[in-house]
Formats: sequence, structure tokens, C-alpha cells
Amino acid sequence: MLFTSLPFVCFFVIFFLLYWYIFSGNLKLQNSLILTGSYVFYAWWDWRFLFLLIGSSALNYILGIYIDKSKNEKQKSLLLWIGLIQGLGCLLFFKYFNFFIKSFISAFGVFNIKADIYTLNIILPLGISFYTFRTISYLLDIKSGKIKPATDWVVFFSYVAFFPGLLSGPIDRPKTLIPQLEKKRVFDYSQASDGMRQILWGLFKKIVIADNCALFNAEIFDHYKTLPASSLLFGAFLFTIQVYADFSGYSDMAIGLANLLGFKITRNFNYPFFAQNIADFWRRWHISLTSWLTDYVFMPLSAYFRDYGKSGLILAILINFTLIGAWHGANWTFVFFGFLNGCFYIPLVLRGTLNKKKKAGSQSALKAFVNMAGMFILLMFTFLIFRADSLSQAFDYYGKLFSPSLFSGFVITEKLNTAVTLLCIAIMLLTEWLQRDKQHALQIDAIKIFPVRALIYFGLIFFILSFSATKNADFIYFKF
Amino acid sequence: MNRSEILKTVNEVFIDILDDESLVLTEETSANDVEDWDSLNHIQIVVAVEKQFKIRFTSQEILSWKTVGEMISSISSKTL
Repeated sequence: MLFTSLPFVCFFVIFFLLYWYIFSGNLKLQNSLILTGSYVFYAWWDWRFLFLLIGSSALNYILGIYIDKSKNEKQKSLLLWIGLIQGLGCLLFFKYFNFFIKSFISAFGVFNIKADIYTLNIILPLGISFYTFRTISYLLDIKSGKIKPATDWVVFFSYVAFFPGLLSGPIDRPKTLIPQLEKKRVFDYSQASDGMRQILWGLFKKIVIADNCALFNAEIFDHYKTLPASSLLFGAFLFTIQVYADFSGYSDMAIGLANLLGFKITRNFNYPFFAQNIADFWRRWHISLTSWLTDYVFMPLSAYFRDYGKSGLILAILINFTLIGAWHGANWTFVFFGFLNGCFYIPLVLRGTLNKKKKAGSQSALKAFVNMAGMFILLMFTFLIFRADSLSQAFDYYGKLFSPSLFSGFVITEKLNTAVTLLCIAIMLLTEWLQRDKQHALQIDAIKIFPVRALIYFGLIFFILSFSATKNADFIYFKF
Repeated sequence: MNRSEILKTVNEVFIDILDDESLVLTEETSANDVEDWDSLNHIQIVVAVEKQFKIRFTSQEILSWKTVGEMISSISSKTL
């Protein structure tokens, strides 16, 4: 059930009517509906892994209660470790087992030793990286005394499985979502209509921009060995736009759906293409993941390494970013992607510009624009590694990209669709630039004339209906 | 040193590290209230505060502060 599919629309309409008309005013029933609906939504993909989701929720719920109850620090730590081993163990097994085995075999191959180990046919349970991070932060926050355990099991199980963010985030923290699940919810028209607008914007980004970019750049990446370098550059551009439109489009829809149910969930993107430098970019991109790792990995590491000055800070950054990369999947491309992003921080740390940030307004608009363009070009080249099947393919692509044919005209097969996609990209970037102080691009209450607002909504619906890609691609982040 | 004297010194450290002369901290100030006080700068502030007061925090203390007031409590417990 993709958010963009007909079964999901039917599911959500029924859910919405039950939630606000039949169960309205009864918190327990509403929460039970959220839990049941989330499990139906999950089982639609693959019912077998529902047991893992339920089992993991049950264990962490019980551990949370006992961590809070226990007066003995050692016992608290032991209970926490049980939860961490279960969560990270499942994650490592399902996501990285074959990767470790294959890397192990190839490492032995260097010494001409044939390792006789077999890989397993493991299917990745959808959303495991997202819900595991939710359960881990729940236990860590109880252990450090930041939160109390959830008041009843339905609340906690719903927190873990809340369907708008179950498969691809945002990774909500317990202190954000659990209190909202425990509080009576009243239908708020302005919140719901804002949610609808955010869903519309997400649909536009996903169906019109990301899916079309996916079609064109797949064509380029499949034939990169024979195409001129200028086409390869265009492919890199399209992929950078695609990954943003796809994931931020999904996040917009998830946040919008949550708003329709009366929830405010974590913001995941803050217009990352307008970042001034790499640190600024990672504060704006996949915020719920980066802030999670900042709190639970980077901060403890940087505190631990603080006696080593700048080298300690750089080491903490490199470990943190390598983990961010590896979180995306079991491939050296992701590990290298993360490590490289960590390396980009080194000049900022060495120059001391992390803490001597130029105040907004103190630099010229031209300088700000040059910084943004520079960041975009850097991202284009970095996301190539993210897109490639292997590191050798990524380097091969780079090799072909930096050749004299970079200055030749590029080959476009579907001229009309490409032109429309480029127009839509321009519309997206321009709208987001104008709305960069708002939570999402369609918060256009400042336009007081209703027909103008309606024209914008219908314009977007027209693009969605007329120029949706011929092939509806899965969300990129589902496989993470 | 009483709490208000500690706050004054901590304020000076923040001004120096964050390069912001206009910064005025209170005990209730949190990282959300100061734009440049982020995870990257936090540890540099901690090191500078440790140097200034000639004290050493535990990692747990550093990770538990939610406001400037809580940081001041940690400092005052070590400078008695």
C-alpha cells in the first residue's frame, strides 16, 4: 500500500471516517484503531514480519517498565542492554548479515584462502531501521530519566507502529509522539486542511518530479558506458533532485496524514538545497535521523573524545557520518557516502568556522547563492556514490563523467516529458525558496484571495493527473 | 562563587565561543533559545567552561543538561 496507491486511499478514507465519526471522543478506541490500522497497513506489505514488529514492541514495553521501576543502576543497565541487543541484533541480522559474510569472504580472498561460508536468503523486514530506532530511543530515554514509560501498552505499541511514519519515518521520539497518543484529540479544521495541503505538495514532488526523474536517470545510469559525459552530468543532476523529491515528498505525505489524525510529528526536511555549507545541509536533511544519531551517538562520542581537541571532534564526526551512511543499507557505497560527508566537515572544523558562523544578513545575496550552488554541485557528485550499485561502478561513472564530451550536447529521448519535468523542478525550487520560512511550501495563507489559492491547488492537481510518470516507482527509502 | 557569578562567567564563555556579543543567558535558557548553540558547538563550550572553572564534568552530566541552570548546578557542586 503505497501512499500514492488506490488501496491506500480507500484504507485511509475508511480509517478517517471511523476515527473521527465513530470513535471520536473515545481515546482508547481511537488508539486501538490506530494500532489495528497500522498492523493492517504493515501486513498488507508482508504479514510474516508483523510478528517481529509485535514481538519487538512487547519486549521493549516490558523492559521500559522494569528499567523505570528498578532502583539498582546495574539492573537498569542490564535491562537496557537486553533491549539494545534485541533491536540492534535484529537490525544487524536482517540488514547486514549477508554483507558481513560477503565482505569476510572477499577479505579472505585477498590471501588466496577460500572461505566456505554460505550467505542466507534473507528478506529485509520493511521499516525495521525506523521502528528499531524508535524502540531504542524509548529505552535510552527512560534509563536517563528523560521520560516515564507509556501509560498503557496500546499507546506504546501504537508509538512503534504509527502507520504514517512506519515504513520510512520520520523517526519520532517518544517524548514527541507518546504524550500526543495519551492526550484526547479533537478534530481541528485548520490542522487537517494544512495536512491536506502538505499531502498535495508531497504528491506533486513524488509523482510528478521524483518518478519522472527516476525514469530518465535509470535510462542514463543503465547506459552510462556509451553516453556522452554531458548526459552523465544530467543523470547526476536528476538523481539528486529525485532522491530529495522522493524522500521529502514521502515525509510531507506522512506529516500531512498525521495532521489529519490530529498529530504533529517530527519535521524531516528544512529545504536542504538552500544550505550554505555541509553542516547546514545535514541540519536540514533527514532531520529525524541525524538528530537521533546526534543525541545518542555523536554527543556521547564528542564528550568522550573532548580532550583531543579538534582531532577528537573530527573523529566523532567521522564515526557518526559513517554510521549515517551504513544505516542506509548493506553496501560499501553507503558506508563511503557517509564517510565522505564526514570528511567534508574537516575544513570547517580546522578553520574554526563551525562556531564563527556568519550571521544571516551579514553576507551578500550573491555570496549566499554561490554557496548554495556550490553545495548543490557537491551533493550531485556525492549522491552518485549513493546511486551506484558498487564503488567500482561509481568510480567508473566519475571516470566517464570527466571527459571532453562533458561539453557536448546531451541526448534526450523524451523531449516533452523532460521539459515538463524540468519545469516542475523549477516550480518546486522556486516555491520552496519563497516559502523557506514556512513548515512546508503550500502554507499559503498569506494569499488572501481564495481564487488564487484554488488556482495553485488545481494547477498542482493538473500536473499530478497529467504528468505522472508512466511507472510508479517505490519510495527509495522503503528499502532502508 | 554564587550562582549569579557563575552565570556571568558562563555567559562570557558562550559569547567567546559562539562569537555573539549580544548573547544574554538566564538559568532557563536552553539550546533551542540560542540559534548557534548546536551539538557541534556544545562540546567546545563544555571544554571552555571546564578550563575556565578548572573542573571536570562526567559524560553523563554533559548529556543530561537541558538548560543553562542545570549546567550551573553541576559547576557549583564542583566549585564549593
